[in-house]
Amino acid sequence: MKTETDIDLIRGLRQQSARAQQQMLERYGNEVFAQVARLVPGLENAEEVYQDVFVKVFRKIEMYDAAKSSLKTWLLRIAYNESISFLRHKSMPVIYYEDREGEAERLSESEVEATFGQPNPETVQLIRAALKHLPPDERAIVTMFYYEEMSLKEIAFVTESIPTTVASKLSRTRKKLCKIIKMLQS
Amino acid sequence: MTEEKINALRQKDANLRDALRLDEMERPQMPADLNARLMQRMAAPSPSPRIRKIWPWLAAACVAAFIVVLVAPPKGAPTGEPKAMAKVEQPATVEPQPREPQAAAPSETTTPTADKAPAKSPRQLHKAVAPQPVTSQPVDAEPLLAQTPAPAETFVTVQTDNHQMTTLTERDIPITRPENYQYTAEELALMKKQANEAYLKWVELELEISKCNLEQTAQKGD
Repeated sequence: MKTETDIDLIRGLRQQSARAQQQMLERYGNEVFAQVARLVPGLENAEEVYQDVFVKVFRKIEMYDAAKSSLKTWLLRIAYNESISFLRHKSMPVIYYEDREGEAERLSESEVEATFGQPNPETVQLIRAALKHLPPDERAIVTMFYYEEMSLKEIAFVTESIPTTVASKLSRTRKKLCKIIKMLQS
Repeated sequence: MTEEKINALRQKDANLRDALRLDEMERPQMPADLNARLMQRMAAPSPSPRIRKIWPWLAAACVAAFIVVLVAPPKGAPTGEPKAMAKVEQPATVEPQPREPQAAAPSETTTPTADKAPAKSPRQLHKAVAPQPVTSQPVDAEPLLAQTPAPAETFVTVQTDNHQMTTLTERDIPITRPENYQYTAEELALMKKQANEAYLKWVELELEISKCNLEQTAQKGD
């Protein structure tokens, strides 16, 4: 939920106060940059998108609806959209694994749980390698869920989707990661 | 998969969480001066985009289109009739207009209809109708040269010397007669002859020009 300071911050942003803008960058800058860097390869590209995100935020702060989401979720949504738009616009080459034959879907839930559940440093390294083979949007969803610990509703808001779609995407991505790990092991 | 199950996975998938945590730790950090650069960019006056106002042009185009629609004659309306009407409207002041030169040239060969018509000036007409106070239609019985049917007659009321009302028709004015709009066979023959003569003259002229050019070329060659 938004705090008292968030309310002040939004009021200041609506008045185009430079101090409020500075405060916002200090408060949410790192999280927004992390979201952008997760999706956009290359530091320079990430910086460019980051700047575009905040320029957009400062100019369109009137569009923020506190009833729909928190300020942070709204920022992450803009960052997500800007990053995806940047990738499409620049048509950057992204190489990732695609489960065309549905092999990952055929993996059993117990098999997947065994891979991810039992703590094992070797598996952790394999998972890290496998994460690099995921498309950027799936990697972002997994990170938002497991690392940022965002709820399905929040992730759905960020990705402009619905919670059930996010849930099924997460489930599919887990299986896909497991399949990639098996491929890497073999 | 339900939300509860998914949320339970978050706790179960320890390896995945660890992997993501390590990945995020290794991710490049945000440059320290990035926010300062962004604030500079925000403070700098943004180049005002060149906005072209198109609504005045749209409005002007709409007005122009409206005027065109308003002024343009309806599709089915004949073009010759309004002119005739306009001339008939002032019979007392209209002078008998001579026919166009092309059409007037072979006037010797025209039919009695064409001969009779220009002879009657409005004044003569005025005299002619004076003793007869009743409405007169003098040319009704005349044979028409043109195949096209005559346009609907327009009646014009003329006040005579005796202050008696007389109605003239459009046919009383020669220029408005439909048969006079058409060329007679003699006129057409004459025009063809003139065209042929003009063509022959043009050919002769072209030949002379060619000869001159050849001579000049020959002189230069020498």
